[in-house]
Amino acid sequence: MKKTIKLMAGVGAISVMMASAAFADHTVKVGVIAPFSGPFAIWGKQFKEAVEVYVAQNGETAGGHTVEFIYKDSGGPNPSGTKSLAQELIIGEKVDYLGGLVFTPNALSVASLIDEAQIPTVIFNAATSSIVLQSEYFVRTSFSLWQVSVPMAEWAWEQGIKTVVISVTDYGPGNDAQVAFTTAFEALGGEVLDAIGMPLSTTDFAPFMQRIKDQSPDAVFAFLPAGPPTFAFVKSYNENGMKDAGITFLGTGETDETTLEALGDAAIGLTTAYHYSAAHVSDLNQAFTSKLDEMFPGSVANLASVGAYDGAHILYQMIAAVGSDRTKAVDVVRGYEWESPRGPVSLDPDTRHITQNVYIRRVAKDENGNLINEEFQTIEAVPDLGLL
Amino acid sequence: MAVLSGILIDGLSYGMILFMVSVGLSVTMGLMRVINLAHGGFALLGGATAHWLTTNTDLGYYFSVILAVLATMIFAIAMEKIFYRKIYKFTELQQVLATIGITFLMIASVNFLLGSTILPIRSPEFFSSSVDLGFRTLPVHRIVVIIAGMAIALGLYILLDKTRFGIQLRAAVDNRNMASSLGINTARVYALSFALGAGLAAFGGILGAELLPIDAYYPLRYMVLFLVVVAVGGLGSIAGSFFAAIGLGIIDTAARYIVPEYGTIFFFIAMILVLLLRPQGLLGKK
Amino acid sequence: MQETQIKPAENLAQTAAPARSRKFLIKLLIDLALIGVGIAAYFIFPDNLGFITRILIMIILVLSLDLVLGYAGVATLGHAALFGAGAYGAGLFAVYFSADPLLGLLVGAIVGAIIAFISGLFLMRAHGLTLLMLTIAVAQILQEIINKERAITGGSDGLLGIDMDPIFGIYAFDFFGKTGYLYALTVLVIVFFALKILVASPFGAMAKGIHESAPRMRAIGTPVYWRLVGIYTISGFIAGIAGAVSAQVTELVSLEAFGFALSAEAMVMLILGGLGRLYGAIIGTVIFMVVHHTAASIDPFNWLFVIGTMVLIVVYFVPEGFMGLPVKLRRWLRWQK
Repeated sequence: MKKTIKLMAGVGAISVMMASAAFADHTVKVGVIAPFSGPFAIWGKQFKEAVEVYVAQNGETAGGHTVEFIYKDSGGPNPSGTKSLAQELIIGEKVDYLGGLVFTPNALSVASLIDEAQIPTVIFNAATSSIVLQSEYFVRTSFSLWQVSVPMAEWAWEQGIKTVVISVTDYGPGNDAQVAFTTAFEALGGEVLDAIGMPLSTTDFAPFMQRIKDQSPDAVFAFLPAGPPTFAFVKSYNENGMKDAGITFLGTGETDETTLEALGDAAIGLTTAYHYSAAHVSDLNQAFTSKLDEMFPGSVANLASVGAYDGAHILYQMIAAVGSDRTKAVDVVRGYEWESPRGPVSLDPDTRHITQNVYIRRVAKDENGNLINEEFQTIEAVPDLGLL
Repeated sequence: MAVLSGILIDGLSYGMILFMVSVGLSVTMGLMRVINLAHGGFALLGGATAHWLTTNTDLGYYFSVILAVLATMIFAIAMEKIFYRKIYKFTELQQVLATIGITFLMIASVNFLLGSTILPIRSPEFFSSSVDLGFRTLPVHRIVVIIAGMAIALGLYILLDKTRFGIQLRAAVDNRNMASSLGINTARVYALSFALGAGLAAFGGILGAELLPIDAYYPLRYMVLFLVVVAVGGLGSIAGSFFAAIGLGIIDTAARYIVPEYGTIFFFIAMILVLLLRPQGLLGKK
Repeated sequence: MQETQIKPAENLAQTAAPARSRKFLIKLLIDLALIGVGIAAYFIFPDNLGFITRILIMIILVLSLDLVLGYAGVATLGHAALFGAGAYGAGLFAVYFSADPLLGLLVGAIVGAIIAFISGLFLMRAHGLTLLMLTIAVAQILQEIINKERAITGGSDGLLGIDMDPIFGIYAFDFFGKTGYLYALTVLVIVFFALKILVASPFGAMAKGIHESAPRMRAIGTPVYWRLVGIYTISGFIAGIAGAVSAQVTELVSLEAFGFALSAEAMVMLILGGLGRLYGAIIGTVIFMVVHHTAASIDPFNWLFVIGTMVLIVVYFVPEGFMGLPVKLRRWLRWQK
């Protein structure tokens, strides 16, 4: 009841606002909230570059409307800051759409706001399954841990892997990955010998490697937040003779293109299941990555890039169809299918989360000697299994 | 038994990394009594330089590391002349503010020039191989860090306790006016000590990068870690930092072996207990 | 040292009554003007109410820090522990018990005070670097506990499901942030005047006395340790209020409420503004956050250059903080003549 009153007040205020703004000009503004500074600054950089590549390829207009992107720095996980930035964008800048959002608490903090103001919001990353249930205005072009962990478990089983130790960082997404993998793997008859929750601030992973080794599983399934933890974990895996002990590495985003180079040749052979590799073989991806390299020399595409690129695509679809009459925008893209640099994808009509292929990849060297995630098996059209 | 030896070996090697990354702070903050929050900044500059040299030139690892450490020391001397001379006389809180400001500028500069991704330092191939100790394996770079840590600890002991420079430094810190009236060039002693601290920060940053990778945010990400080691060890005592680092390394490792689910809590409870029992730190002077 | 310590008493006894009342009047006018600025901001910046609300909340936190750091001289880098306690206290109360904002505010404040009291029991025995490290440890441990109790707190995803009732059952929190702003402003004004009275009271004089010379205070019979615990508890109460308002206005709390970054930022803002002065806490916070916000809007990647430069300029040229600026300016003008 309370929510409805709020909602009605919001709708009233917004329609007044719109009446004055909608006919003033044809520019449609999109606010992008992401970290551009601090420990997670790479996310904002990847987002912005990918959006600019999309704009360079597709023009600055969508269906006759000029699209303008406004970038705001949220820093790290910071719900109060994110919410106030969203308020400022909606009320002050009069944006009609929002995009970006890397962290779960940040995405959750805008849910009630975008509901009341009726702002379609495209999540470029924040991957906790349940976020999209918090508002009908959320659309998500990234992935969820369930979406990639279950295919990993199934593939591992097919390879004859019977026992696994799970080693994840002890926080929301890590927990998601653990539950997803365990559920799928045990359903097939596999055995999870141990599940280790590693503290978020862990810097030395050697003790965990030893514990994993002592149980001699067929494989270790890992999930850690991108950046220094992933780097140090994979390094520990390599240097503690895990491979020689016959323990296969199973991961998801650990071999992210922005850390891959830092891992060096030792990463070769690591197996992961993920929705995007910069080395995905398709004309569209080729066009995307080469344009990215042309506009931003030295940049590599990763999951953040493709999330933002597809996010921009969805935003363009919505804007082309309805302009700033955004209340119907989300309905326009429900069930929408398109070709992404990651392969064929679609938006689930109910959950508004992206349905996509998940690829099993291994780290290899390309003809130029660069490390890449080479896709060698495809599990087609996987929805967010965490929402089923 | 296997667990115990694992804890000791991994704890020792992790502790030595903690010592390496914080020994520079033990010099600037411990001996020189400057709240030098920019310690991690100097480590970052050393690491970033080493990254640039090992990935963009053919100098090779060892030469790059030496060059990066020297470059950081020269930069530190300039910084000392421009900023730190005044900082010595500030109140503690003003020192906090000033060195945080410097840290911000260092982070912003590295971020601007090299971006915000991990800046890997290309080490020789054999660093990432592992040595079989019979009952378990140990990565070579850990052994390198252990040896380097021992050498640094010993070298600092000799430098500070047995040489003229060490005596001058301690005299200058205890009573600057008295020291200069005795003919000690205190300005020079301070500049050299500061450069030493920055050089050690750079060296530690580079060697520790296998575990604590260098990126633009490095100084703030690990600031608490450096401070913990120096505080537990006790201000003014390099040996204190050494034992604190080893002890904390072993406790943290033990927690990861036995109760990983409470890892961080144990680390900080250990610190609280030590500091409650010995507020001046393990070997700090009252 | 000695003079400054006796001054408050001297003032009361010797200053002539008319002069005193004139001074009081001027101060009151300044305060009223500040409130006026707060109300004016509501009309001048209707687009940025969310951001200004964050400033107001931060001011409350920095004021609470000023009480311990500025007045009592207790250096802490763990004030986020108390802020986070208040935020999660109010947040959990709203999710599981009652969504009444004022009740939640009280709960947040009390939780902040309880955490401050318990941790204060051992923190207030320490000094210097040891104290700094212990305060950091308390915040880190609390953060880890909240992360562990994921089922109740939401862990790193944040505490979801805070949906506040209207204040007094009338004023609902709207998405323009109007109610949130006026709410935060009202709370800030009350906190500010309460602190003003507190620091002018014998209790405040005692805090300053401890700051200047703890042994002397002990010698004249003050139980220094217990007084410090008391001050820290009051500070926790206020920091808890800040956390509670933040949780209620954002309708979400995350682990970063306990973060080292928040503690450090609060300290930087306070030193920038000027320690031991309530106005310093306000000015430091406003300038820091506005400069940050503006710089980040212009260049979201490189604003840290601006903040770093500002911090260095202040500490080198106006070491007393922004509050020292008028004196500096006056001296400079006189020198010009």
